[in-house]
Amino acid sequence: MSNELLKSDVTAEALIAKAQRDGVETMWDRKAAQKTQCGFGEAGVCCRICAMGPCRVSPVPGKGAERGICGANAGTIVARNFVRMIAGGASAHSDHARDIVHAMHLASAEGPFKIRDEAKMRRIAAEWGIEAADTKETYALAHELAEMALEEFGKPFGTQRFLTRAPQQRQDIWKRERMEPRAIDQEITTIMHSTHIGCASDIDSLLNRGMRASLGDGWGGSMIGTEFSDILYGTPKACASESNLGVIDAEMVNIVLHGHDPNLAEVVVVASKNPELLELAKSLGAKGINVVGMCCTGNEVTMRHGIKIAGNFYQQELAIITGAIEAVIVDVQCIFPALPALAKKYHTHFVSTSQKAKIAGDMYIEFSESDALNCAYGIVKTAVENFANRDASKVEIPNFKEPTIAGYSVETIIDHLDKVVNSQLEDKLGTVKPLSDVIYAGVIRGAAGVVGCNNPKTEHDLGHVTVIKELIKRDVIVVVTGCAAQAAAKVGLLTLEAKELCGRGLKEVCERVNIPPVLHMGSCVDCSRILDLVSRVAVEKGVDICDLPVVGSAPEWMSEKAVSIASYVVASGINTYLGIIPQVLGSVEFTELLNEGVRANVGAVYVFEKDPLVAVEKMMVDIEEKRTALGI
Amino acid sequence: MSLTELIYAGSNAVAGLTEGAVKDAIEKHGEGHVVGFPDTAYFLPVIYAATGVKIKKLGDLPAAVAILKSLITNKDDLGDALNAGLATAVGAEIIEALRYVEGDPYADDSGIGFVPDPVIRSLGVPLVTGDIPGIAVLLGESADPASLAAIVKDYQEKGLLTFMVGNIIEQAQASGVKMGLDYRVIPLGHEVTSVIHVVSVAIRAALIFGAVEPGKLGDFLTYTKERVPAFINTFGPLDEVVVSVGAGAIALGFPVIADTVVPEVAGALMTQADHAKTVETSLEARSIKIKVTKIDVPVSVASAFEGERVRKDT
Repeated sequence: MSNELLKSDVTAEALIAKAQRDGVETMWDRKAAQKTQCGFGEAGVCCRICAMGPCRVSPVPGKGAERGICGANAGTIVARNFVRMIAGGASAHSDHARDIVHAMHLASAEGPFKIRDEAKMRRIAAEWGIEAADTKETYALAHELAEMALEEFGKPFGTQRFLTRAPQQRQDIWKRERMEPRAIDQEITTIMHSTHIGCASDIDSLLNRGMRASLGDGWGGSMIGTEFSDILYGTPKACASESNLGVIDAEMVNIVLHGHDPNLAEVVVVASKNPELLELAKSLGAKGINVVGMCCTGNEVTMRHGIKIAGNFYQQELAIITGAIEAVIVDVQCIFPALPALAKKYHTHFVSTSQKAKIAGDMYIEFSESDALNCAYGIVKTAVENFANRDASKVEIPNFKEPTIAGYSVETIIDHLDKVVNSQLEDKLGTVKPLSDVIYAGVIRGAAGVVGCNNPKTEHDLGHVTVIKELIKRDVIVVVTGCAAQAAAKVGLLTLEAKELCGRGLKEVCERVNIPPVLHMGSCVDCSRILDLVSRVAVEKGVDICDLPVVGSAPEWMSEKAVSIASYVVASGINTYLGIIPQVLGSVEFTELLNEGVRANVGAVYVFEKDPLVAVEKMMVDIEEKRTALGI
Repeated sequence: MSLTELIYAGSNAVAGLTEGAVKDAIEKHGEGHVVGFPDTAYFLPVIYAATGVKIKKLGDLPAAVAILKSLITNKDDLGDALNAGLATAVGAEIIEALRYVEGDPYADDSGIGFVPDPVIRSLGVPLVTGDIPGIAVLLGESADPASLAAIVKDYQEKGLLTFMVGNIIEQAQASGVKMGLDYRVIPLGHEVTSVIHVVSVAIRAALIFGAVEPGKLGDFLTYTKERVPAFINTFGPLDEVVVSVGAGAIALGFPVIADTVVPEVAGALMTQADHAKTVETSLEARSIKIKVTKIDVPVSVASAFEGERVRKDT
């Protein structure tokens, strides 16, 4: 059987056929079993925040029930549901970040949690105003900085420290709109409060509070997650890797790392190199231990260690169906609860490790940062021992993989830009000036961040790949994170050779700077790197972010985290193009607010466009309008 | 105005001038009248290289004008804008060729105009051996003739071949710069269109030494980018035509270093207001590395002075 949602995936057809032969169920079977999804939920007009409900109101104004029992109309219900999605997303990113900072608080010279980018730590300590940031003893400073970062989640007064990275104009807008996020957890809590029965009903106010919480994610939780991960695990540098299910190796012990939190993934990578475990693997007839990544935890270890990318969100089941996976090790976020049952159909061990995401059905080995290496050793050992149980007759690995270059942190991008700076000019090193110059000169027309998930409402990866290819063809440089980055990786867009697919200007830039036209900037929390980069360009040119010819795009988004990301990108002044329409169409007013009204507040809007080609045309009009306004 | 708009403005202006000049020349002399440059086997070299077309008489020109106009799309796209720069080069070549129709237009000029084939052949060996490490093209009128002269002398000492266009020729001469092929400082002319004669040098280098096939424009651009170590220094304010010429230079792979504010593009177009740094900036931009052993003597020492003739002071 071929699945029409998988037409553009070269690995899918054989594996879906195998799934049928093996009698296992996949997300596409479950999607079909859902039949037609509920129109009230789809329109966002179903409310079940109290026990008087569930209420559903008519998505068509003037027809049917116009108010819920409490009197909430479609606008209120849609807005509450939407900002609760933001809260869900912001909480996921922020809790992720909190774990990273906790690990840093545990850091010691003996490890396993060490300070690996001391310069970055001192830079951020100075940015946050710690005295003697450049001379204090490393771990004393680490612990002080970690404590300060933990305060960001629940401090009683003040706003997020990283906000000052934004251009002054943007900070002024946030102040005017009362959108400066205070403590991260507070913003999430206050959304849950405002959306309780009988609280806020004003859609402008609800969205405003939602955006504030999302800013607490982008410029708070996610940014802390990224920056502190870099301090602990090293700031990513350009590195070679490979992508797609073909990286699974029939002759090795295959471990899939899936989830988000690098705390676990990093120590698993260390344990997979343990000589005793390698010896054990060999004694069982394996050539070695092959750790491959999936989703964002995959991105984290790809960015820092070049760990191969097995696939993105929708491929998590396909990986197991290859029959060659000894263990899927997961932590938190975007892990199908369907995986344990699927794993049991094969010899695969499904190991959930986080108390926050205990997934019933197979193994649970709790990961504790205080005993990290032993934990990881135990988990990897379980995987290695499981090699003996593999049934070679059930193994079928698609022979598809593409070379990939990842590791483009802001620091690495700037390092590359430094190489084209003429040392005789006044230009300083360590800035984004060469990038802002080529944008202003029109060598490249603009920049786009393409991010987000996969969604069975649309053909998998097609939206990502189409948007990216069409943009680079039009001389728009693309930065990618998350599953969008992995979609690009799987079709070979993250290579130097991909410059041949670009317009003349972007091709020149790629050649001179020696970069691919599509830059993998990391996981979903690493969308904060994009905020940082865009802010630097805006500050360099003395304009606000909303003045720059820059767009955001989430062609196949799915999660609440994506809603939070889209919201903080819009609130930061960047028009954001959504390929999946959020569940808001039941309220004309709220839809209008997202698509147009919010422009008056933050200078950017959410654009809904399902067709990736049409979306790209709209983005280009947007980019050219920004250029005209700037006179460039 | 955005950079691309500036380029197109210059290209369109040159296209208009070219079209008019061709029309006038045909009216005056007839389609059968011969057109071309002295001492070359390559017809109008830029057009010959780019299209393979051998222009021999005035009647061949309207088709070339049509090609150059088709290169100017006015679209906001770097590739298109660079093509428009090449169109300006083609236009300049036609205008210069028409000036030769009625005899040598450079007879009374301090510039030499068209550079004949034998000169290019004589420069070939030192270019290949690296004895001539680079080609500097200087353009415009300097606000500070003394620093201009210092720049030219510096290039001379480093063995570069320098071409000059515009009033900088007199400015440099007045400040004591010796010129001529033997000194590796070649004044081309005063009209901005005479800059085409150095483009013609680069193009014929590809034809003669690179054996690139006429008509294969892409191969020429690759050859000039990789093998002809040229760059442009502009002096004084830039008009649209100069910007458009600059785009042509960038299309050939030659960076442009201006002494006024321009929309900068790292490695291709930059501002160096400090003339004391122009030479180093330019050499770095074109990746020209020169090993200099400074001999501490009271006169300049360089291979550029090898052809110097010593005369009695009168």
